[in-house]
Amino acid sequence: MSMEIIGQQMVNGITLGGLYALIALGYTLVYGILLLINFAHSEMFMTGAYVGYFTLIGLSKIDFFTSSNVGLLLLYVLAFLAGMIVTGLLGMLTERFAYRPLRNAPRLAPLISAIGVSLFLQNAALLWISSRSIPFPILFEIRQDDIAGVNVSSMQILIVGTTILLLLVLDTFVSKTRVGKAMRAVSQDREAAGLMGVNINYIIALTFFIGPALGGAAGIFSGMYYGSIKYNMGFIPGIKSFTAAVIGGIGNLRGAMLGGFTLGMIEALAAGFISTGYKDVIAFAILILVLVFKPGGLLGESVVEKV
Amino acid sequence: MVKSKRLFTLIAVLVLLAMVVTGCGSEDADSGDSASTSDLVEIKIGVSSPFTGDVAALGLGIKNGALLAISDSADELADLGIDLSAFAVDDAADPKTGVNAANQMISDSEVVGVVAHLNSGVSIPTSAVYNEAGIVQVSPASTNPQLTEQGFKNVFRVCTIDTVQGSYAGTFAYNELGAMTAVVLDDSTPYGEGLAAEFAKQFEAEGGEILLSEKIQLKDQDFKALVTKMEALNPDMIYFGGMYTEAGLVSRQAKEAGMTAPIMGGDGLYTQQFIEIGGDEGDYSTSVGLPLNEQPKGQDFIASFEAAYPGETIEAYDTYAYDAAMVIIEAIKAVAADMGADELTSVAGKQAIIEAVAATDYAGVTGAVSFDEKGDTLNKAITPYVVEGGAWVPVK
Repeated sequence: MSMEIIGQQMVNGITLGGLYALIALGYTLVYGILLLINFAHSEMFMTGAYVGYFTLIGLSKIDFFTSSNVGLLLLYVLAFLAGMIVTGLLGMLTERFAYRPLRNAPRLAPLISAIGVSLFLQNAALLWISSRSIPFPILFEIRQDDIAGVNVSSMQILIVGTTILLLLVLDTFVSKTRVGKAMRAVSQDREAAGLMGVNINYIIALTFFIGPALGGAAGIFSGMYYGSIKYNMGFIPGIKSFTAAVIGGIGNLRGAMLGGFTLGMIEALAAGFISTGYKDVIAFAILILVLVFKPGGLLGESVVEKV
Repeated sequence: MVKSKRLFTLIAVLVLLAMVVTGCGSEDADSGDSASTSDLVEIKIGVSSPFTGDVAALGLGIKNGALLAISDSADELADLGIDLSAFAVDDAADPKTGVNAANQMISDSEVVGVVAHLNSGVSIPTSAVYNEAGIVQVSPASTNPQLTEQGFKNVFRVCTIDTVQGSYAGTFAYNELGAMTAVVLDDSTPYGEGLAAEFAKQFEAEGGEILLSEKIQLKDQDFKALVTKMEALNPDMIYFGGMYTEAGLVSRQAKEAGMTAPIMGGDGLYTQQFIEIGGDEGDYSTSVGLPLNEQPKGQDFIASFEAAYPGETIEAYDTYAYDAAMVIIEAIKAVAADMGADELTSVAGKQAIIEAVAATDYAGVTGAVSFDEKGDTLNKAITPYVVEGGAWVPVK
């Protein structure tokens, strides 16, 4: 077993983990504010991918975007912006119509509502777009670099780099800005925050914009990385990322990141050195172990039961 | 009050959307004109395959093929006093949904036979349902040997079984491709496992060496870790027992990592979707039967297909579904001539249809169709295909 293979598997794992982390941020952000597991998040991932796809297809008909490198860069930036904004708005819409009416209902009600939204969006994409896999347009050349015998592609660097950058921005936003302070206040005690003059609906809507927008960005990355998109593409990454958020400590942003990378790495190493068929068994066994010894997750705070 | 009014609006919008969605998705089963058929005996052929989900491309092709056969023989059947239509149900490539679909079809007394199921994993559990109901099942595409080994007299298939296809691939890989070493992957389904096992057995019997056998999970997208593992072994080829979605992703990720070994698979890869997802030049597949344009009836089928479905491509099993439906239609004609059209939907009529199918001797689009005592086709031709210029072409 050479070092190169171990290194290569770690690169595989870190990239997969980057995707998981980006999706997990959305789960954990929403959970932190509302204590709601947004099961529709995996469909936000899918929506982002489709919006990015249609933006790319539409705009690439214009010569300006495909004739120069600057145009290409702008094209992809626009695809990401469109994907993130549309997905973010869809997230806000979901919150407005599927979760807000149930905000004071028992916690099971919004959870079921979330599953309903998930099924609705998945089937809408199936019926209105296509049941087939659609090739995702990649209009630039992906560079492959050899770093000490390990093959690293520019796409992998892009995914991991963007994920870490977004985490840093989000982390600063939540801990340093006034709005971030309001978000933390709402997550600690919604009613008290409201009494202190925080506009709760605005904060929750904002959370439901940011979380899904990150999921949407992850969807576009997934399309670029794996080369095709499909109406049910969110299912597996959704479950895995939720697991990642739980491993890291759900509600904790850095935990989501740590959990994502941990899970990606475990999967790659398990598939690479044990068995591909058993990688999920091993990943979920580790989830159970983490929950047994640290019920709040790796970076989670000890859970205080609200009375 | 305001709150409940809002909730009402929300529900109204959702109901409206749901209606739009189901409206789009419902199957237009009665393709014939129903106005002039009042004096005809109405019967149906059930058609079930995945219309949605990962392998919908192949499943919708089966529906296309079967519907084409039904509309092609509408006039002839009308002369016999029969109005034949299709009862199409989605099985979503899922055994549970498939059994529901089977129950839905058999509960309609006008259904006299089914062209059913792409996936062996669906065909095997549903065959018991059709057997119980005494209705003939002709599978256009399920290749796992177990299907016809259950002793059911009503189960037939017009495609060759995995043992033939898998071992053909083993011989082909060793002798024609000159591969000495291989990695064998399967997708943990009865179809994929059966095919991969037969390939491995034959490839080793020829003198080849299997370096690694791995199972992958359906719907998984990330095979990079597996690719790194395979790359280190440097096999001459990769054999993939499974369907085009996962195979396409494996091929794409393997080529991205710099592997040059071709991927080879069975009929589950033989669709344009495999190439769109990531199948590369030089990848191989085998498919049952001879290439369409080498068949006497091939050109007729192509013309008829293009007229009925302009702009659509012919998928791997369209011709098999066509022949499967035709086999049932031929049996319907024979029984109608013998017992009268009114008897077709009776228990005795359905039994007679099963016996007529067993005695089939029909020149189909895929070649001569007739069955052995188990219900397997006697037409065991296999054709290897290679990706060339972005399309599957028969290997010379």
